[in-house]
Parts: sequence; structure tokens; C-alpha cells
Amino acid sequence: MTGMDAIHQILNGGLQGYLVVALLLFFLGLATVLLRRTLLLQFMGVELMLNAANVVLLAFARFRGGDAQAMVFYLFIIAVAACEAAVGLALIIGLYRHRDTTDSDRAASLKQ
Amino acid sequence: MFITFALITLLGALGMLLQKNVVVAGLCMVAAFFGVAGLFVLLANPVAAALQIIVYTGAIMVLVLFVIMMLSSHQEESAAVSHPVQRWLSVALLAVLAFGAVKLVFASPGVKTLAVKGAAMPQAMTLQTVGTNLFADHLLGFEVAGLVLLAAMIGAVALTKRNL
Repeated sequence: MTGMDAIHQILNGGLQGYLVVALLLFFLGLATVLLRRTLLLQFMGVELMLNAANVVLLAFARFRGGDAQAMVFYLFIIAVAACEAAVGLALIIGLYRHRDTTDSDRAASLKQ
Repeated sequence: MFITFALITLLGALGMLLQKNVVVAGLCMVAAFFGVAGLFVLLANPVAAALQIIVYTGAIMVLVLFVIMMLSSHQEESAAVSHPVQRWLSVALLAVLAFGAVKLVFASPGVKTLAVKGAAMPQAMTLQTVGTNLFADHLLGFEVAGLVLLAAMIGAVALTKRNL
């Protein structure tokens, strides 16, 4: 595929365009997890990465002719994401109570 | 349309990465989630778009913002030890990985065939199709998901309660 074709694909929302957007979203989420130190922001980065996975899943489903199977898995991913949000935020609150910080660098040891 | 929603998504995510204030970063994430919902509409999937807005921009975002307010940690704390080498190394690694992955997407013949073969717009996903599929073929998975949600709820309460 030549460069012009690739640009055309991205601008008009072909399968490649969705995949590229999902990839960039995933890497922005990963960058947030790696570069920021606030646990809340790292948690949001994880949510972004989950969302990128959803975009890829539903993009492939649409280009396979509207596969309903993908929607079922999307529902399960959302359920797991909700669990992760509840437990993850509870853990952050627990850490703040014990250490008075939400900085992941300051939570480097398991014992106080 | 596609490029608009893609830009909203990516700029929201970028804003989240660069924003100093945690509350503003959370609102940037809302923008990113709205962009993703728009992408779902363009993928002929209004059900997923509605769920995206209800669950992510509704429930999860409210939860995150409540926790930000509760902990009163609106600003990022200053670093105890700065790791400039590790930070730049991770940025470089991410850039290389992202470039490689994007290149791989455009080089893949399978993706290309699928893009050509499935170019015709399929019928929009309806709640009925989803429900039939979910309850006919994945009933056990549905029940397990419910149980996992209950366990997570009890776990979250147990973790946050001071003296159980």
C-alpha cells in the first residue's frame, strides 16, 4: 500500500483507520500509566487501554458483516472494567488512608 | 465524520496525558470516551455507543471524580526521586512500538482483504440481536459476569470501610 492510499484509508474510516486510532489510543493510555505518578491518572490510563481494545473488537465485528458475537464480548469487557474500576479505586482510597499519598512512587514497599 | 471523532478521542487522551490538574485530566478522559462512542456509531453499533456513554462517561467517570474530590489530591505530588533516563527510555520505547504497530497494520494483507471484503455497511446492531445472542449462547457467561460484579461490589465496600 502506498503512502497516499494509507492516508486515504485513515481519513475515510476504513478498517485500517479504526485500527490505527485504537493503537494510538492504547499507546496514549500506556504512556499515561508509565509517565504519570498519580495512581488515579494511571488508573484512567488503564481504562483508555481497555477502550482501545473495545474499538478494535467492534471494528473487526463491523467489517465481518456486523457480527453480534463481538457485542456479547463487549458487554463482558465492560462488566470486567466496572469491577476493575470499583476495586481499583477502593485500593487507592485504602492506600491514601495508610500512606496519605496517591503517588505510586511513594508506595514502593508492601510494609509501612 | 470519522476523522472528527478520531481527533476528539486522541486529543482527549493526549490532554489526559499532559494535564497537570487531575480533575481536568478526568474531564479530558470524558472527551476521549465521547469520541469512542462516536466511533461506535460510525461502526453501525448504536447499542455499544449508548453503553459506552452510560457506563464510561456516566458511571466510571462519576466514580473517579468522587474519589478525586474525596482524596483532595487535585495536583500531582512532586517527585521524590526523578527518573529522567527511565522516562525518556519509556517514551522512546513507546514511540518505536507505536510506529511498528501502525506499520504492521498497513502491511498486513489479511487486514487489507477484510477491509475490502467488509466495506459495505452492515445492518445496524439492534438490542434484540444482542439479547438473543447473549441469552441463547452465553447465558452462563452472563450469570458469571453478574456474580463477578457482586463480588467486586462487596470487595470495594470491604476495602473502603474503616472497621468492618
